[in-house]
Amino acid sequence: MTTTSRRAVLGAATAAGLGTALTGCGAGTAAQPVNAEPTIPAATGPVKLTYWTWLKDLQSVCDAWNVDNPDVQVEAIWIGAGNSGGYAKMFAALAAGGGGDIAQVEFQLLPSFLLQNGLVDLSRYGFRDHLDSFRPADISRVSVGDSVFGVPQDTGPMGLFYRRDVFEEIGITPPATWAEWLDVARAVKASDPVRRLEGFNVNDPGNFTSYCMQAGAEWFKTDGEEWLVDLTGEPTRMVAQFMDQAFGEDLFDLSLGAFTAGWYAATAKGQIPSVITGSWGDALVESVGGTEGKWAVAPMPRWPDTGFASATLGGSTAAVMSTSKHPKEALDFILWMATTPTAIDLLIDNSGIGWSPSPDFIGTKREQPSAFFSGQNYNEEVFVPAAGEQNPGWIWSPIYLELNDALSTAVRGATSGGTPLVDAVADVQDRVIDIMQHKGLRVRSAS
Amino acid sequence: MRGAQRRAPWILLSPFLVLFALTFLLPVVYAVGQSFTAVDRRGLFGEGGITSSFAGFDNYARALDDPTFVASIGRVLLFGVVQVPVMIVLVTVLALLLESASARWPGFFRAAYFLPYGIPGVIASILWSFLYLPGFSPIVAGLGKLGITVDFLGEGTVLWSIANIVTWSYAGYNMLIVIAQLKSIPGEVYEAAKMDGAGPFRLAWSVQLPLIRPALVLATVFSIIGTLQLFAEPQVLRTVSPAIDASYTPNFAAFTSAFTYNDLGVAAAQAVLIAVAAFVLSFVFLRVVSRRDS
Repeated sequence: MTTTSRRAVLGAATAAGLGTALTGCGAGTAAQPVNAEPTIPAATGPVKLTYWTWLKDLQSVCDAWNVDNPDVQVEAIWIGAGNSGGYAKMFAALAAGGGGDIAQVEFQLLPSFLLQNGLVDLSRYGFRDHLDSFRPADISRVSVGDSVFGVPQDTGPMGLFYRRDVFEEIGITPPATWAEWLDVARAVKASDPVRRLEGFNVNDPGNFTSYCMQAGAEWFKTDGEEWLVDLTGEPTRMVAQFMDQAFGEDLFDLSLGAFTAGWYAATAKGQIPSVITGSWGDALVESVGGTEGKWAVAPMPRWPDTGFASATLGGSTAAVMSTSKHPKEALDFILWMATTPTAIDLLIDNSGIGWSPSPDFIGTKREQPSAFFSGQNYNEEVFVPAAGEQNPGWIWSPIYLELNDALSTAVRGATSGGTPLVDAVADVQDRVIDIMQHKGLRVRSAS
Repeated sequence: MRGAQRRAPWILLSPFLVLFALTFLLPVVYAVGQSFTAVDRRGLFGEGGITSSFAGFDNYARALDDPTFVASIGRVLLFGVVQVPVMIVLVTVLALLLESASARWPGFFRAAYFLPYGIPGVIASILWSFLYLPGFSPIVAGLGKLGITVDFLGEGTVLWSIANIVTWSYAGYNMLIVIAQLKSIPGEVYEAAKMDGAGPFRLAWSVQLPLIRPALVLATVFSIIGTLQLFAEPQVLRTVSPAIDASYTPNFAAFTSAFTYNDLGVAAAQAVLIAVAAFVLSFVFLRVVSRRDS
């Protein structure tokens, strides 16, 4: 009885489903491209804007703007962090035609939002007149041709945070090159078999991606309407070989990715004495219990004769969602927030942003030495140069999350005795091309 | 009069039918429809327009061509083959012990065993993740002091760590189903067995077990379906275990396709495959069981 009715239901459902498919049911995307429509003129009366973000206490920054701009009131609406549900919420809002005016979108996710026709081209509202207020490498990651889809609000130039006391005890100094990194990592492991120089998060190999960016890789390029993919070029192969070497000698702690619960416990004990990460890592390092005054910061190691001094990890843009009725006013507010010294200080003090988007002002607090980091003036010493020495040819793909998971699978294989990473990146490239084709994009291998 | 009589059941059923259609049939139809849909974009990102088209079985082919999705199916099958029998045996033993004449404080233990079911799966997984995590776990630390190193979160072990959480969560619930059936056995049956000289083991084997079979069959079917729907436990443990990928179980894979990759076509195909698998496995199990009955 039950089985018959279920079978009937399934049969009916299949038939009906085919019917729906043939009449073309939507794919959850805004069908009418917003940037093909006429621009929306500035409002004549008072306007209310909402800003979807996971920066804490952003309202205090908005309030500073609201006092001086009674006609454009901005309200910050806190949503979960991007990958913890924030993006899912934004995508759902876009599909339903609602959502905020402004949204926090990480650099690497911006192209994924473009796939959903989710963002306003800010060049149509005059953003190109303000490009000088930002760093060229940051702008290249929010631009497609002449169009610009987000304003950098918070970036993440990378450096090396280390436990000075543990380094001194072992008798090592921060590595200046990746070859030296291997030697230092060996020394750390030799000093105590449970110690490793660094943790590596197999489930989120974003560091590997950043190392390739630093080495000068350009995984994605565009040629007209076509994407060119290159994950098998010399810079990527060099970094993959380095990782294979480190994995093979068991130099990373693979069970403790940076800033996981177990990582904090191990780092407090000196079991993992360093982490290479974005400038925003300072706030997290400061929450490692009982280690005040024992940390210092050094530039990240360099690749031999090639690449750049630093790379980026994380960082966000403020973008205007395609459902906004007031893109002009939204852009005015974002520009004020990202370039005005008072706003940047407020963002640092209240919202803890990783790095100022302005090349001219890093924030009053960050011009001072830090007691936690052994009295070092690490922001000016390490991160100011790091922010300026970036790979300008790097752009993010529209399938960042898929690629990150494919790399995770490749790393998982390489660390458990499977295909070495240097060979697996070729498979990842094939997979990337396949995924992009199925997104309805035109794509080919660059090599 | 006769017309009114014919209409009455439909009118009384209509609240159910409306909800059933809106929350069950329509989503199923929509999902099946989407599983046959592909998208095409003009321009670098689709800024020139996005269109959907009929894709035939392309999404199904892609789902089954993805080695991580296929691996996830194999993983839950292995999980089911081990965890479901272990739990059903455990449930049966617990229920029989608590319902035996010599049980002490059966009410207290019944509540104690049932209690984990009241803890949401995500919370239970977070609690257990700390019991598995080196540096936090008293279990890992205690075994370490005895010279035994364990890794509950490694590639070969984490599946069984998940099985442990699932068993801990659901054993008490299934035990109650079995106990309810045990309680419905009439007292005369026990008396008759005693008159015939049956001891406690004989009583359990020849009287109680055959009579609680329907409850065990029900618990097994629920567990098979539950196994295919494994999601919260691996998703939570992923934050502490590098061995768990974003498509560790079929449901996790469908979730990732839909909400991380925005690839609704493949996600729908994966969901349909899971539903069909749950249907086939439950059906086969019930067939095997009922054939033995006749």
